[in-house]
Amino acid sequence: MIDVGIKHNRFIERSIMSALSFLKESIFADEYASRKGFLQARDPRIKILMILALLLAVLFAKSIPFISCIYALCLFLAFASSINIAYFLKRTWFFMPLFSLFIAVPALFSVFSPGETLISIKVFTLVLSITKQGLASAAIFFLRILTSVSLCVLLALTTKHYCLLRALRNFRVPQLFVMTLGMCYRYVYLFIALIQDTYTAIKSRVGYVSSSQKGRRIVAWNIASLWRRSYDLHNQVYQAMLSRGYSGEPRIMDDFYITFRDIACMGVSISILAGSLWQARFLN
Amino acid sequence: MHIPDGYLGPATCGVFYAVMLPIWVAASRIVKRTLKAKQVPLLGISAAFSFVIMMFNVPIPGGTTGHAVGSVLVAILLGPWAACLAVTVALVVQALLFGDGGITAIGANCFNMAFIEVFAGYCLYKLISAGSPVTSSRRVVAAGVAGYAALNIAALSAALMFGTQPILYKTASGQSLYCPYGLNVAIPAMLGEHLLIFGWVEAIITALVVKYLQKQDPSLLEAGKGATA
Repeated sequence: MIDVGIKHNRFIERSIMSALSFLKESIFADEYASRKGFLQARDPRIKILMILALLLAVLFAKSIPFISCIYALCLFLAFASSINIAYFLKRTWFFMPLFSLFIAVPALFSVFSPGETLISIKVFTLVLSITKQGLASAAIFFLRILTSVSLCVLLALTTKHYCLLRALRNFRVPQLFVMTLGMCYRYVYLFIALIQDTYTAIKSRVGYVSSSQKGRRIVAWNIASLWRRSYDLHNQVYQAMLSRGYSGEPRIMDDFYITFRDIACMGVSISILAGSLWQARFLN
Repeated sequence: MHIPDGYLGPATCGVFYAVMLPIWVAASRIVKRTLKAKQVPLLGISAAFSFVIMMFNVPIPGGTTGHAVGSVLVAILLGPWAACLAVTVALVVQALLFGDGGITAIGANCFNMAFIEVFAGYCLYKLISAGSPVTSSRRVVAAGVAGYAALNIAALSAALMFGTQPILYKTASGQSLYCPYGLNVAIPAMLGEHLLIFGWVEAIITALVVKYLQKQDPSLLEAGKGATA
């Protein structure tokens, strides 16, 4: 049974909140992908290669100024693509980079990064030293993650999902995989709507959950029901596919055009990657 | 357990893409061969199901919440090869379409959650539940044990990836370039929270879902038989 008790009911709110914020983010992302901006105008195939080249450049880079320049380029690209900078910063700084910053803090100290002492802090009888190597390690770790997350978000925000899937097909990713990706994308929304409806029904009809044990049962019951509905759904989906002319091989339209600007952008990205590989090879 | 870009060095990312490539090819071939035409949408729907499991917040004693990964559950429901593809698709959708998780780390993430966790969990589940009827309580225990053990094995694999980074990538002055902590920190940190908290969440949810499906519709627990080898 479910009894009254506000304290133990957080998992319902958290699930609804995460589902809601997911939907909100997706709506924003769709709106940005439809805008007229620099990255939105790029051919999706070139854009994927560009972002991949820049991600590799960040991954290979060994110097803080080099990664900082790529991060500045990300901010410029966000601005040129009509993305609200405050929204972009919120989306890219929150969670993963901040979490990584928190993880990187112990690496500042000599316990984990022995080396040249910069500052010593005395905590009661314990003397903690921040080392030059530790500071550099933490800074490069945080900056690399921030820039990588920014690049991934730029790609996701400025590309419509079906263009991205079509581009993957152009890269010879197997059809089964691309079709599954497309279906997954669509059904995620349906399932999220189901979670919201179910939790709203629980909350409005029976009030609050009294213990974590009962809460876990509710979650498990919901997952089991979701699977049952999913399994029933696949027959209906197959019938709908047949009625739309599916004959075992999905057809994907291809109307991408590569412009001079696309080639120029690709050239710049490859040059940055080459620069990164060069400095990774020769700088130590 | 989702590894973002920047935690692993380029060679590590490359190695895990290379390791996963034949696994993805084998999974695609096996699933294509064994999946009936009308079950094709099941794969997409299962990938969405796998994605959504990670959004369910599970209450943990003490007032906080965690979430399950659900790889073992999907493996029990679909069979290991289809589950490998479904979890891979869920991870790729997260990384590519929502900018959540690393693109360069997709190979490593799929190795941990779509391969290690799926196959270790499935093998354990089959081993413990061998010969038992579909409604047997042994299957519930098997699901729980498999969920707990497989998540911890996957966490150990992620910890090994993190912990080897300072050994593989270091400048001459001793500066770490990627994940800054060695095996002595990465393994206890990753295993500690998974053995004590997340493993139990995974075990309880996997076992309870199997228990509820046994009551609701036991045939669903055998759906994987028809869909995959």
